[in-house]
Parts: sequence; C-alpha cells; structure tokens
Amino acid sequence: MKSKSAQIQVTFNWIYIMIAGAMILLFFIGIIVKEKAASEERLSAEVVDIMESIFTGASLSEKTKNFIDTSGLVDYTLYFDCDAGVSEFGLSGYSYYVSDSVNPLFAPLELSSTRLVLWSLPYRLPFKVIDFLFVTSANTKYFLVGNDVSFINEFNNATETDNSMLKINWEQLFDLNDLDPGGNFQVRIVDLDGTNVDVGKPLPEKLLAMGDKKVTAVSFGKLGVNTVDYYQKEGSVWKKLNDNPIRILSIDEERDAAKYGAIFSGSPESYQCNMMKAFKKLDKLIAVYGGEKMSENIGGKLAEIVEFYESNPETSLTTECLGYLTTYDENVYTSLRSMQNQIKTCLVFQGEQGKCFDLITHADTLRKANRILSETGDCISLY
Amino acid sequence: MNENKKRKLEKYQRRQRRLRRKAQIRMSETIAIIFIFFVLILFGVIFYYKYSQISNREKQEELLANRAMDAALQSLFLPEVICTKGEAEHEDNCFDIMKLNQAEEVFSKNLNYYFNLFSYAKITVTEVYPGNLTWTIYDKQKVKKVENGTERIWENKENTYYVIALRNDSKIEGQKKYNLGYLEVEVYS
Repeated sequence: MKSKSAQIQVTFNWIYIMIAGAMILLFFIGIIVKEKAASEERLSAEVVDIMESIFTGASLSEKTKNFIDTSGLVDYTLYFDCDAGVSEFGLSGYSYYVSDSVNPLFAPLELSSTRLVLWSLPYRLPFKVIDFLFVTSANTKYFLVGNDVSFINEFNNATETDNSMLKINWEQLFDLNDLDPGGNFQVRIVDLDGTNVDVGKPLPEKLLAMGDKKVTAVSFGKLGVNTVDYYQKEGSVWKKLNDNPIRILSIDEERDAAKYGAIFSGSPESYQCNMMKAFKKLDKLIAVYGGEKMSENIGGKLAEIVEFYESNPETSLTTECLGYLTTYDENVYTSLRSMQNQIKTCLVFQGEQGKCFDLITHADTLRKANRILSETGDCISLY
Repeated sequence: MNENKKRKLEKYQRRQRRLRRKAQIRMSETIAIIFIFFVLILFGVIFYYKYSQISNREKQEELLANRAMDAALQSLFLPEVICTKGEAEHEDNCFDIMKLNQAEEVFSKNLNYYFNLFSYAKITVTEVYPGNLTWTIYDKQKVKKVENGTERIWENKENTYYVIALRNDSKIEGQKKYNLGYLEVEVYS
C-alpha cells in the first residue's frame, strides 16, 4: 500500500516538475522573443533617426553631394512616401518612421542598397526658397534618353565627381532598346524629349524580367514645354501614373531643382507633395520680403527699403531705386504682390496645376526688377 | 493488554509528532526558498528598472543634443533670415537685419508651421556690436495652464551658440554695413 502511494507521489512530482519547468522555460522564451522584436524595433528607430540627422545636414549644405554607407542595412528596404504635404521614411516592416512637413525630399519609393547618395540643390523662385534633397542609391540606375543634349551635358557636369562613392549611377542611351539594367535594384528611364516612353509602347526586352515596380520612367514634355509625366512598367508595356501632365514650376535655366526633383521622385504624388512643401515655404518668404497682406499695403523688407529711400532723399540714385522698387512698369512690389496672390490660390487648391502656373511669370518679372536694382549703382536689392 | 495498547498509542503519537516536525521543517525550507527566490527576482526587477531609467535619461539627453544641433543648423540656413546676394550663393553665417525685423512677426503668425521645424525651442539673435538689439524669432516652450496663466514644464534644455554677422543694408555710404552678433538656439525636452 505504502509503496504504491510513494510511486504515485514520485510520478506526480515529476509531472509537476515538468509542467513548472516548461512554464518557466516558456516564460523566458517569451521574454527573449519579445525583447528581440523590441530591440530590432529600437535599432530600426535608431537607424532612421541617424538618417534623419544626416539628411538634415545634407540638405542644408547647398549644392553638395554626400553618401551614406548602408552596407549594414543591405537586407532591409528603406521606403519613402509623401502624402498630404507630409513626407515620411522608415524601414519597411517596422513601425517607426520619421515624418517631415517642411523639408522636401525627393527619392524613389524604395531603396535597398549598400550606399545611398544624397544631393542638395537650392530651389529659387526667384529668391532662394528652400534646399531640395535628392536621395538615391548606388544600385538605382538612371538612363537618360532623348535629344536634349544641353541637359545631358548639364546632368553630366552636375553629377560628375572624382569621388566614386558620390557618383550617381546613370548612363546616356541613344536607343532605348540598347538598355541593359545589369544587376541594379531598380531602373528609372528619363525621357528628355517625350518621344521614347508613352502609354502602350513596348518596353526594352531586357526590362521584361524585372518587377513592375522596379521599372519606372519620367517623360518630359517636348522641348520648350516644361511638363513631366510618370510611367511604370505593367507587364510588357508602359502605364501612365498621372492623369494630366505635371507642370515644372521653376525659372532656373541651369541646375533646375524642380526638374531634378521630378527625375529623382518615385511617383507623381510624391513629387507634387514635396513641391507643395516648397510652396508653403514660399508663402512665408513672400511675407518676410513684402508683408503679410501686400494687396493692402507694402510691408516686410520691401517696406523698410522704401522707407529708407524716402527718409534719405540725398542718397544717390534714389529716384531710380524707388522706381524699380514700386513705380516702374516692371517693379519689385507689383510682381511680389502678384506672386503672393498666386501662391495663396495655389495653396488653397493644393497645388492644382492651373492655379500655380502664373507664379513663374511673376517670379521672372521679380527677378528682372531685382537684377536691375543690383546693377543700378547703390540700390538695395530685395534679395 | 491495556498497557500494550497504551504503548502502541504512545509510539504512534511519537511517530506522528516526528513526521509533523519533519513536515514543518520542510515547509519552512520551501517558504525560505520561495522567499529568497522572490527577493532575487525583486532585486532583478529593481536593477532592471534603475538601469532602464538611467539609459532612458541618457537616450533623452542624446536626443536633445541631436535636436539642438539640428535646430541650430536649420536656423543658420533659414532663407527667411540669411543674407542673400541676388542669385548667387548666400553669405555664410550672416543674417539680414531687415529680414530679421520681419521674421519675428512672420514666425509668430505661423507658429504651427515652424513648430514642425524646431519643435519646443527658442531662437534669439543678439547684436553685440555696435548696438545691442535682440530679435526673438521663434519661441515655443512646453507649458501647462495654471490658475494665473501658464507654467513652464520642460525638464532639460540645451543651448547652442553661433557667432554671426548681421548685415544692415540701410546704411548710407561711409557707414559700416556689417554688425556682429550671435545666434542662440535653446531646445527643450
């Protein structure tokens, strides 16, 4: 009797030990799994935060190129998005991301590479509005095709560097069918005269094996028309991503930041969203230069300059200066006021194409008036 | 017979007492072990809590320092205040006094927009030569509402200073066009 009870007790003890042991083991395994997920999430947050700091520094250094060694992140995909005036980037599959509603950042929708290349260019309309930051990677290849030789030369000069780490991966093509994507992660075709890429046109044969999202194209309007259309591979043909051609709003003849933004932008939505950030900034800058409500009275820096000339009539060339500032046919005040009216409309209509286009006409007039002021003796220029 | 029964009973009772004492000792042992186990766990929890508290504080300080650096850089290159020369590149470390005079108002009217850039911070520009003017171009501090107004609730702040030139275009010939000043960027957490 006693021996039977002892046997049951021993068995029960072992079962108890097994259950307790398993529970303790499960508890610690649970902690390890949770801690692993949390530490990966923390790491992704740290990586994204560090990148944000690098992007901030890179965007402020005007006309400079930088690179980020991302060899440790080769298994991860970095995503970029912009919606409703707020851009965000982070690592795909992780919840942490950084958002920014002020600084424009033009990049492909996804990057997975051992090296990122950052390039900053100032956007002027006509005064400096903000620095555009372009982000691309060593394995994102740009193929420039078309007859716009002057832009190809400019692109070559702008991207040329002795440092191979800062090189933007691009190639000029004379015939689109010669295109070879190599081992690149994604390709972007830049059709400079709008004749090579169109809806329904067949893709170069070597691109057929690549994923649809990895093959994109931007097609600029025929020479003289400053518009851009976005395309993406759909099977063996091109699919257009935007309904109407997107106007490129800029007056720079060279190193046109808005045009480069279109080249480096992943999608039409992302391009327009980032341009909206620039327009918001422009609205604030016009207020600094000309006051909050120019239709009512002159304010801002312009008012100070006018006041200076009015209170110092002895200053040489005063009449000329005041004329170009406020009264002559092409004067600073009128063009700045027109710009302010236009930018307000543009912002209300969320950058709708027709509502912003006149900005460049007024910006061009302002540039001419400001140039004359700078060249006219001691006149104080607006910017 | 009775004597025999009595002895057996006593023997049984002694054995029972011995067993009970043994069980009591075992029970005390188990309680002691469980107590020590929980004390160790408690030590572990306290240690982990203190460690994460310190590491969190260090992380916060690091983040604040980074934010201070970012905010200072952003301020130094703000198109709203920098000295420009037509379409040429802007002058480094130089603020335009005429723009500064306007920036104060523009920034205060668009505080939400600039909050996205600077978060909780205060940016001031102080002239040290020849005058002593001060421009507070951005000021947004963490506050909470109390009975008699508001009360600051930030815990840490980090200051960054930069020496800058202040360009004054409204100077007639013969007068110095550039003044000396500094930019102070305070960020709060």
